[in-house]
Amino acid sequence: MSRYAFEGIHVLDFSWVGVGPISTKYLADNGAEVIRVESVSRLDVLRIAPPWKDGQPGPNNSQFFASFNTSKKGITLDLSKPKARELILRLVPWADIVSESFTPKAMRNWGLDFEHLRAIKSDLIMFSTCMQGQTGPNAMYPGFGQLAAALSGFYYISGYGEGQPPAPPYGAYSDFVAPRLLTSALIAALDYKRRTGKGQYIDMSQYEAALHNLSPAIIDYFATGRTLGPRGNESHRYAPHGAYRCADEGSEDRWIAIAVANDQEWKSMCQVFGVADADGRFSTQLLRIEHRAELDKFVGNLTRGHQASELTAKLQAAGVAAYPVQNCVDLHQDENLEAFDFWHWLEHKQMGPSPYEGLSHRMSRTPGELRSAAPVLGQHNDEVFRGMLGLTREEIEQLQKENVIF
Amino acid sequence: MSSELLKGFRMLDLTDEKGALCGKILADLGVEIIKVEPPGGCSTRRIPPFLEDEAGPDRSLYHIAYGAGKKSVTANLETADGRAIVTELANKCDFLVESFNLGYLDSIGLGYDALAELNPRLIYTSITPFGDKGPGKNYKWADIISWAAGGMMYLMGEEGKPPIQMSLPQAGLHAGGEAAVASLIAHYPRQSDGLGQRVVVNMQACIVWTLMNEQAMPILHGDHLRRSGVYSGSLGVRRKMVFQCKDGYISSVIGVGPTTKNLIDWVIEKGFGVEWMKTMDWGTWTPGLFMQATPEDLSRIADMENGIEKMFMTMTKDEIYRETLKRRLLLAPVMTEADIARDVQLKARGFFVKVDHTDTVGRMLTMPGPFAKLSETPITIDHRAPRIGEHNEEIYCGLLGHGREQMSTLRAIGAI
Repeated sequence: MSRYAFEGIHVLDFSWVGVGPISTKYLADNGAEVIRVESVSRLDVLRIAPPWKDGQPGPNNSQFFASFNTSKKGITLDLSKPKARELILRLVPWADIVSESFTPKAMRNWGLDFEHLRAIKSDLIMFSTCMQGQTGPNAMYPGFGQLAAALSGFYYISGYGEGQPPAPPYGAYSDFVAPRLLTSALIAALDYKRRTGKGQYIDMSQYEAALHNLSPAIIDYFATGRTLGPRGNESHRYAPHGAYRCADEGSEDRWIAIAVANDQEWKSMCQVFGVADADGRFSTQLLRIEHRAELDKFVGNLTRGHQASELTAKLQAAGVAAYPVQNCVDLHQDENLEAFDFWHWLEHKQMGPSPYEGLSHRMSRTPGELRSAAPVLGQHNDEVFRGMLGLTREEIEQLQKENVIF
Repeated sequence: MSSELLKGFRMLDLTDEKGALCGKILADLGVEIIKVEPPGGCSTRRIPPFLEDEAGPDRSLYHIAYGAGKKSVTANLETADGRAIVTELANKCDFLVESFNLGYLDSIGLGYDALAELNPRLIYTSITPFGDKGPGKNYKWADIISWAAGGMMYLMGEEGKPPIQMSLPQAGLHAGGEAAVASLIAHYPRQSDGLGQRVVVNMQACIVWTLMNEQAMPILHGDHLRRSGVYSGSLGVRRKMVFQCKDGYISSVIGVGPTTKNLIDWVIEKGFGVEWMKTMDWGTWTPGLFMQATPEDLSRIADMENGIEKMFMTMTKDEIYRETLKRRLLLAPVMTEADIARDVQLKARGFFVKVDHTDTVGRMLTMPGPFAKLSETPITIDHRAPRIGEHNEEIYCGLLGHGREQMSTLRAIGAI
């Protein structure tokens, strides 16, 4: 029995930023040997993005980069140099998977596209993921998940109402939708290769992948011309449904999310607050849904004096769905995440101990884990170039002088 | 025809909206998905909105979207006969995914231990809002609860107004995606040693995983982010991330270096620039990020945002997007479903597919197509979501070998 699901699987990973690295991280945390190939001419932008250890910028100081690159090795080359390409071509036979996430022409320009690599390794699996896919008039569109999230409709369905500006999700939202789809396809392709001996090429457009989290609205539009739009916390099923203000804590405004699905839950909620719905305005679920605005005021007045986590415990004990609207400080103290053993502190070569998100699932027999902190630039150059390719120290020094390895 | 990729594998789908996407992803990859529904149908069939606002078990857009490609059988888990037939099914399956309240399936003899004893190959994936151990393991759930618990809700909205979720709730979709990945991670070693395992997906953790770089901010930078509407909640200087234009909004990543220069060159060309912009060294100017922002920096940012917004207000989303592509700018139109439906890129790649729903809702429906293009084993999407119990006969008689007479009896006694 293997300790990890992907023991013995090898990945040569040219991908950067979000979708690619998060996808290969699933493999790396589950035992695959993943070598991140970092190019000096295309340094991963996350390496210089915050948060940084002690607030100090630096390519080996970013937790943003570190979080997405656990359990991987890192080598550094200047891929625009022919000698760097030669080294890569010597590594390709070792790889089951090659991955990349540049705009489409980069790998072609380096002569490292699927056609070239497949000639060396006939059963290779390769994925390319970029904003809008490898083909089509907008294939060369550069960008980040903030932009793909606007393209794929998420900005449009985030806000207080039609005619008001979007209040978009934080960050590069689509970067956190696409990896679960891409990784599913990638593992299935690995299994298919084991059964049939055939590799293949996977072209994922982050924009297209993200649209799957919007499917009902897309189908509706094509059928009826209706758009979903921004609707605040409006729901057609739950009422009350939304965030309600609790007692402030210091200078922080605190809120609780509540969702009531039926009359029984409504009665239980009223009991927790010790109020009756005296005038019958909200006596049925339909009335509550139809008088949402008034209802929100009513509930907001009830929650205002309460401490959010205490109120959560009371409402949940009464069978009402509720939870504090948590900020990131809360997340690190959350007792449910703690019980799931979610947070991990790993020892990073330069940053020392720093906080990492753990896995979102647990497995009974072959669990993955964060096997090591993310690599600093070139951390495994020696191991890969000497250990795997058999270069001598002198040869490596020479390549460093020529700025092939850096 | 389904994809060859995972052809021959079978999954029992016992999820509701907490995991419907899991079976959809695996169906796209070629797994045969058997959705087990209670008499009257799965709760996803009652999620509004409905096609043409007409309620009905085949008309929930959620079910149409995430039930696509699945088969449906009915089984009443409250009866011993219903449970027996699901046990039989689980013996013929490679995967089982469920999202009942924690412990429910155990209590009726369909828990992991019971089913794995009969079928050790089974991968049994449970989707939970808060995991299976913590104080919230039995908490009441709605999608907005996970959005709040996982930290994304706190970051969405405007200062002084309530935090919000998206109009199409997302937490169950993230958990469904995670369940697909985790089930396949377990599948890989199973195919060499024949042993399945139990998988537990934590939805709260799935939402924490959408927070990009925010989790470590309080620890490494001593503060956390706050919701800030169209402004960047990121560290340092407040930067506007969404601008108004003539007919909608434009999302912008104002980075550093050449892309900022290209955008400002355009602003200058259009006559909305300010003198200092023409001689600026954009390559090193990163106020608030790598260096303290001075009052001069702040006034420059105000000039830029002012110029950009004024310029955008003279143009439509389409005009700005065309120029964005030409000039390689970090901008994107805030697209509506209407913009997405006529997008030339999606058309050129043949993304949308028409799926025949004439026998359920009387028409063809257009849906998002393959989530990725696979060269050897393409994903094909050509099966609509099933009617309630549409495949009872195929599965119960064909796969399990029950006689038609027994089927009628099971139906008569309310087991299926």
